[in-house]
Amino acid sequence: MSLADYDAVGVTLKASTYGVVWFLVLLNLVPLLFILSVSFMPPTEFFGAPHIVPYEPTLEAWTSGFAELKDNLVNSFLIGTGTALLALAITIPGAYAFARKEFYGKKLGFYAIILAMMFPYILLVIPIMGLWNDLGLYNTIPGMILAYQVFVAPFAIWILRDFFENLPKDIEEAAQVYGCTQFSAFVRVILPLAAPGIVAVGFLAFLTGWNDFLFANLLTTGTGPVPAVPVLYGTIGGGSGERVYWGKLMAETLIIGTPPTVLYLVARNYLENAFTV
Amino acid sequence: MNATTDQTDAETNSDGDHIRIESLRKTFDDGAIVACDDVNIDIDEGEFVILVGPSGCGKTTTLRCIAGLEEPDQGRILVDGEDITGLKSKDRNLAFVFQSIALFPHMSVRKNIRFGLDMNTDLGSDEKNQRVEDVAETLGLAEMLDRKPSALSGGQQQRVSLGRAMVMEPKAFLLDEPFSALDANLRDEMRVEVKKIQRDLNTAMVFVTHDQEEAMTLGDKIVVMNDGHVQQIGTPYEIYNDPRNRFVADFIGSPSPNLVECTVERTADGLAFVSEFCTIPATDEQAERVEQRVGETLVYGIRPEYLDIVPDGGAFVADLDVVEPLGDRDAIHLSASGTSLSAVAPQGEVARGTDRVHIDIQTGESWLFERDGTRLV
Repeated sequence: MSLADYDAVGVTLKASTYGVVWFLVLLNLVPLLFILSVSFMPPTEFFGAPHIVPYEPTLEAWTSGFAELKDNLVNSFLIGTGTALLALAITIPGAYAFARKEFYGKKLGFYAIILAMMFPYILLVIPIMGLWNDLGLYNTIPGMILAYQVFVAPFAIWILRDFFENLPKDIEEAAQVYGCTQFSAFVRVILPLAAPGIVAVGFLAFLTGWNDFLFANLLTTGTGPVPAVPVLYGTIGGGSGERVYWGKLMAETLIIGTPPTVLYLVARNYLENAFTV
Repeated sequence: MNATTDQTDAETNSDGDHIRIESLRKTFDDGAIVACDDVNIDIDEGEFVILVGPSGCGKTTTLRCIAGLEEPDQGRILVDGEDITGLKSKDRNLAFVFQSIALFPHMSVRKNIRFGLDMNTDLGSDEKNQRVEDVAETLGLAEMLDRKPSALSGGQQQRVSLGRAMVMEPKAFLLDEPFSALDANLRDEMRVEVKKIQRDLNTAMVFVTHDQEEAMTLGDKIVVMNDGHVQQIGTPYEIYNDPRNRFVADFIGSPSPNLVECTVERTADGLAFVSEFCTIPATDEQAERVEQRVGETLVYGIRPEYLDIVPDGGAFVADLDVVEPLGDRDAIHLSASGTSLSAVAPQGEVARGTDRVHIDIQTGESWLFERDGTRLV
């Protein structure tokens, strides 16, 4: 009797667990399925009655979408990679200093950096635009890369500082006893051990440069290095109320989403380590 | 030894000491915490020196200063007469073995052992490999050279860490509680092994431990520290038989010695020490020292093995609390008028269920301390 009761509870628990999981999966999967299906439909179909499997599948949206995005994808790639590399170059030494070195104003400096992260960065766009104009950085790829550091760097310093702090100090000292200077101990021992954190931070910085719309739209003009995301906005009609070619929009969305996905799959092992420490 | 070091030896007026620590002082938090102060230790070539004391006594700080991992506030550290106080740790040619083992987790055992050679020497590749193989052979690690440290047991990891030190052929080994993370059997095994290695290499070794038994079994010379100060330096026998103060007496030896406050009184048989539960006649040597101090309170100390359990008579009678078997002998915990005492007897000599025992004192083996802890006789 009691065994049956126990089973009932167990089954309900398991069923509700799966129920929640499936609900969440579908919540993500259904829109994605529509995006995928619409991207293969000719305009006559997606303006008609909704259905999932296209009657006359076509690659037209994909080819025209890709043709339109080609140059902008290169821009996005340069901006994303540049943002990641510059962020790592600045924040690895910075975070290490915050983790291991003693200096005047260390605590205050760290909180100031965290505070900068809380600042709504939409407020920064206007002064940055003016400043970049004066400095000749407006409408250039280096200008974009530099602008993204404003919100990538604090976040990266925060994550990497915790990472460096959690590495045992003894290992660094051992390296120093056995022939390293503090710098070579850092390069030979600390950097390899912090690799998961560094990969994670680099990935997130790349994503920021790749996915951002606000800076991308306001710091470039049609003649300059426009990244891919603002082009997507153009496809919706820039809010002008014109007819929207949904097929192309969906294809472009998927094209833009692919490189980060591939990057994630490549770096997955590292990323999972980074956030389980 | 070459001519130049001979010369500097003469200049510093060294008497052939290998490593010399002179009035070392180290504080933390801008002087708020004094980790060690006025530490002077001489270490001869090939000597096994143990720094022992309770936690927080400054022994690890002293070792880290020798290694160059801490910079002392005052004092000098000399190796073969050469002042190394300001040098970086990599330039000292001293090897350090960490309590936490501290292997490089991303490198194989082979690379871990080779690390120092790769970084600090310009030996040829063959020579390096040969040294690594030799050390691995000595430590029984030959089969494991290509594994990662995480695939080894705690004992094997600590062997690798020793190997990383040995391969450098350093002027001295510095070991910071290297076996405290290992279980008791393994610890005994490693102790014997380390002592053997040290004998074979005839390299000075400075070994930090909080375990007084480990200190007694390993050391040629024991340095007892407390509160940042050296309390006594001596051979294990000197430290055990002839402690310089109450702290050393109490810290070394298990079970702990009996330390009883008593008053000096003049009796019909001469001077005697009177405590709440017994009167102990003074030896001639003691009598001479306390002649002028009748009526004052002193601390009488005696090791448990010098309290004899006798069938009757004896100096006093005590209640038997617990008999604690230690193997070949039993520790007998007693109480007399509220004072806890301990004695040692051969295995099984005191029957279980005994309530009261007669105790005799081998007065010749006793110590006298002032109440502040300094040794009187």
